Amino acid sequence: MKRLPPQTGEWIDRSREVSFSFEGRRYTAFAGDTVSSALWAAGVRVLGRSFKYHRPRGVLSLANHDINAMMQAGPMLNLRADVTPLEHGMALEGINTYGGIARDRGRLLDRLSPFLPVGFYYKAFHNKRLFPLWEKMFRRMTGLGKLDLAAPHIRTAKRYDFCDVLVVGGGPAGLSAALAAAERGCDVVVVDEHPHLGGSGLYRLGGDTDAAQDIRRLVGQVMGYPNIRVKTATLAAGYYADHWIPLVKHDHLAKMRAGAVIVATGSYEQPAVFRNNDLPGVMLASAAQRLIHRYAVRPMRSAVVLSANREGYLAALDLLAAGVRVLAVADLRANAVEADLRDALLARGVALLPGHCLYEALPNDAGDGVGAVLVCPLDSDGTPRAEQINRFDCDGVVMSVGYAPAANLLYQAGGRMRFDAALQQFVPGQLPAGVFACGEVNGVFMPANKQLDGQRAGLAAAAFLGRAAPPAISVPPEAASPSHPWPIVAHPKGKNFVDLDEDIQLKDFHHAIQEGFDNIELMKRYTTVGMGPSQGKHSNMNALRILARATQQSPEQVGTTTARPFVHPVPMSHLAGRGFTPQRLTPLHARHAALNAQFMPAGPWLRPEYYRRGDSDRLACIQEEVAAVRNGVGIIDVGTLGKLELRGPDAAEFLERVYISRYANLKVGMTRYAVMCDETGVVVDDGVVARLGEEHFYFTTTTSGATNIYRELSRLNTEWRLDCGLTNLTGARAAVNLAGPRSREVLARLTDLDLSAAAFPYLGVRQASVAGIPAILMRVGFVGEWGYEIHVPASYGPALWDALTEAGRAFGIRPFGVEAQRQLRLEKGHIIIGQDTDGLTTPFDANLGWAVKLDKPFFIGQRTLRIHAERAPKQQLVGFTLDSAHNATPPKECHLIIHAGEIAGRVTSIGWSTALGRHVGLAYVIHDLAWEGAHINIRLSNGSLVSATVCKTPFYDPENLRQKEAA
Amino acid sequence: MITAPRRISPLQDLMQAHQPSWGLAGNMQYAQAVPGEEARIARLGLADLSHRPRFGVKGPQAANWLAAQGIATPAQPNSWLPLDTDSFVARLGLTEFLIEGAAADPLHANIEPARPGVYPVPREDAEIALLGPQVNELLLQTCNVNFRALDLAARPVVLTSMAGVTVTILPGSHHNDPFYHVWCDYTFGAYLWRTLLEISTGLGGGPIGAALCPEQPQPS
Repeated sequence: MKRLPPQTGEWIDRSREVSFSFEGRRYTAFAGDTVSSALWAAGVRVLGRSFKYHRPRGVLSLANHDINAMMQAGPMLNLRADVTPLEHGMALEGINTYGGIARDRGRLLDRLSPFLPVGFYYKAFHNKRLFPLWEKMFRRMTGLGKLDLAAPHIRTAKRYDFCDVLVVGGGPAGLSAALAAAERGCDVVVVDEHPHLGGSGLYRLGGDTDAAQDIRRLVGQVMGYPNIRVKTATLAAGYYADHWIPLVKHDHLAKMRAGAVIVATGSYEQPAVFRNNDLPGVMLASAAQRLIHRYAVRPMRSAVVLSANREGYLAALDLLAAGVRVLAVADLRANAVEADLRDALLARGVALLPGHCLYEALPNDAGDGVGAVLVCPLDSDGTPRAEQINRFDCDGVVMSVGYAPAANLLYQAGGRMRFDAALQQFVPGQLPAGVFACGEVNGVFMPANKQLDGQRAGLAAAAFLGRAAPPAISVPPEAASPSHPWPIVAHPKGKNFVDLDEDIQLKDFHHAIQEGFDNIELMKRYTTVGMGPSQGKHSNMNALRILARATQQSPEQVGTTTARPFVHPVPMSHLAGRGFTPQRLTPLHARHAALNAQFMPAGPWLRPEYYRRGDSDRLACIQEEVAAVRNGVGIIDVGTLGKLELRGPDAAEFLERVYISRYANLKVGMTRYAVMCDETGVVVDDGVVARLGEEHFYFTTTTSGATNIYRELSRLNTEWRLDCGLTNLTGARAAVNLAGPRSREVLARLTDLDLSAAAFPYLGVRQASVAGIPAILMRVGFVGEWGYEIHVPASYGPALWDALTEAGRAFGIRPFGVEAQRQLRLEKGHIIIGQDTDGLTTPFDANLGWAVKLDKPFFIGQRTLRIHAERAPKQQLVGFTLDSAHNATPPKECHLIIHAGEIAGRVTSIGWSTALGRHVGLAYVIHDLAWEGAHINIRLSNGSLVSATVCKTPFYDPENLRQKEAA
Repeated sequence: MITAPRRISPLQDLMQAHQPSWGLAGNMQYAQAVPGEEARIARLGLADLSHRPRFGVKGPQAANWLAAQGIATPAQPNSWLPLDTDSFVARLGLTEFLIEGAAADPLHANIEPARPGVYPVPREDAEIALLGPQVNELLLQTCNVNFRALDLAARPVVLTSMAGVTVTILPGSHHNDPFYHVWCDYTFGAYLWRTLLEISTGLGGGPIGAALCPEQPQPS
């Protein structure tokens, strides 16, 4: 082919040469070229191979509406060459070939096509015995580009954006709409998938470049308008509720929230169906015009134009202006109405053939393109008269037979389309509020009418936003239909393709209909029409016409298939993008890291699982931490606990209603364990309630429950209208648990508070200064040792930690992590909500019946628990121990308890108890096994059974002597 | 002997990496200046203002109590008012208020003893200031509120989510550039800072010292 002299408004930059390679050969082109335009300019005709029969393919739409030209460039696979900007140094390869595009061994399949009829895949899989064989073969043969798992991970930004009016499409209608809305004061954004605005107004010129002046002026106005933002090379990829449109650019995805949306997306030009309509050189008129006017590439040397509308004649004139020898214009219509254009063509010596079809394209000698075409007249019923064939030797065919609206966004928005018989096109019937359409997608094709329709839509959008009065603009109807009702020619030898993605021929549709797949959704799935990478942009309309004719329905009765996001493919990198995974760190995180903590996730938090020391392994480190707490003193960060404060005259009443125990009688300066249930009596959270004053409580929740509990309590406080105020201090306070027999000695070095058991008893709470820091201290014993939970303002957390660890140095203080804490509490028989309870556990099941005060006037879950209280629980949480001699694999959490061959419970917690010298655990068992001394069998993952004995809890210090001062 | 304990900003460890010159306020060390900040502020600067004096209060009588303390409160929820030269009060809901600046200091002592309908809200926030012409782009990448549509003259306060974290944002300006305060939970501070810094760096911005930030936002 040939690069043309400079064209007015061309998109290429001739001052910047770009070199690249394709299938191993080097080429040069210009910046601004797409891959396809560059190759076509270089004379490369075969840009790819078809999916199924591996037939040679060239430019069809040059608009990403077909996938003739999909390529791979390094790790970038399935590049749409029609619209992929050429980059210097690109090394491009074809995809889906065996041995490259030129020598693709897969082309043998073209000869085998009679054995690969429609529905071949489905039928092949009917035989179960051969299923694996076919599966293996299909997997090898199908698929397009090659995925490189080592490709670099691109973190694509996602962003939000906002505007009053979003105009999708920068053609004449869209530009006019944008100006009309902007003139009414709207903040307007115009997006267009191409790098420049103007749309068809800058390439459908009929050989007269002056015809684009008006559109160029319009582009200039839009670009310079202060409240219009223009986003080119940006794809409006879908429509979601409330005018939410994802805008995809090469380096980011923007979530655009618009007040109103104007869809001016134009149309997809449709191919004609005739034998060998897929040969390289057969292309849509718009593709030829884009090659000429955008990239200054002559599409072919000589051509026959197949037309059925005014646009076909304009294309013929454009071809002539570009130096293409136009041999003939075959018009499917017997009576064309474009007298002015016909005269211009006749004057240029072009043969005009009204009522003719293109019967067949013949390949050239090399088999890589068009060598000639056969044209013949049509009967009055549209049947080709094959006996009256005229042959034209040419290397190109240009088709202009009709359009399908690019209405994907309208469908996704919930718009209803109707079929306009006069236009032979689906047009918007009813659109959702705030969604408007204009231009070709609205069935308006005449250039002047497009701008008028755009103004109407722009004003309507402004009116919708309250910025203008509803428009009183009437758009004249089209003089003639731009789409032919039957651009389809049967041929006894077939290879007249309806869907070029999937190599589906006309006869395939007839076979599918004969087999009963005679509605559009079934036919789509059986033939796979529209299911290829183009998603039916060039095939659905013809498929619909075929089905309509075969079933004697109108296109409207046949209907369309569902249009789902995305309109065009969106790279996975854009969808994955930059993710936000909020992470919470306690104020002591840096201290833990400095101590070599091994962190584990706990909901959004990172918590130290244990602290690695020297060469000790995980288990040894944990056991050392357990021993430090049992025998000396340890410190753990418990800042992840939910921490709430409640003040006001009704504070006690609020807690009475929220928790199952009683708090009105809790003395100031004391704490009490607190269990919260839901309405069904299921345990949902626990913690400790501390009374700091008559009307002042401070209480904790579980780490995982903190956010939800605060939200729910806030809701209840609003609903109950009690006179109290709830404050969430979870992030505002740091907290540590100083535990162990030496903990009091450590703390005594940092506070003037009287720490004697008499002055500060077990379960007491005090407010005092610790290391000069105002603190709340609670004497609680979750790990079963004398200890203090110390809560301070978050910013003082590190100072508190430093002071305690420094004061504890003489006592061998050791930080301990979550894993040691779990073992320590297990020895004490304390449960963990969510681990030792589940979504059905009542307090009675979990041995918390003692905490349930059914005689209170009300608490959440009370009514259900009253019913439960009168029944024996179906299951009961019990402690169990393994034999001390058991040294084989111990059970794990969730292992089942088997009794008389049936499931009789499950293990919820298990661990090695240094204090007892054996494994101890908690398990739910059926009532018959819930007695001290009962033998239970636990089934391991390998199916073997381990015997255990039910016993009382706590396992450790059952008399709670560790909380009492020695006599 | 016990020395006076030091408060630690949730962002201190992260700021350390930028080798700032430190200041001390409210017994908390803070990054006063950061090498290279002048160049960054032409695009987008992030500063740690967690050290600033802050006081929170809520309850049905909170507004009256503040009035008794000489602090006039905004008439509308989700708006703010300037106080003295370096302070402001933000109304975060019908009955919750945040006071930042020197005016906050005496309130801590005055809130005790407890009064009916007046509940203190300890404010241990991470506070990040955003300053520079690229602030809006950073917000667009992290927050789904249309800040461009806000009328800054109405002194809005926005309670929303940023990068998945609940935040309070006070949009203002400084020398015709956006100057936004962002408050979040202390424990989300490090995450939010890292996230904002990563995006800001891509936008040509980065950390700056608190000294470049005005004491008080300007509404336009």
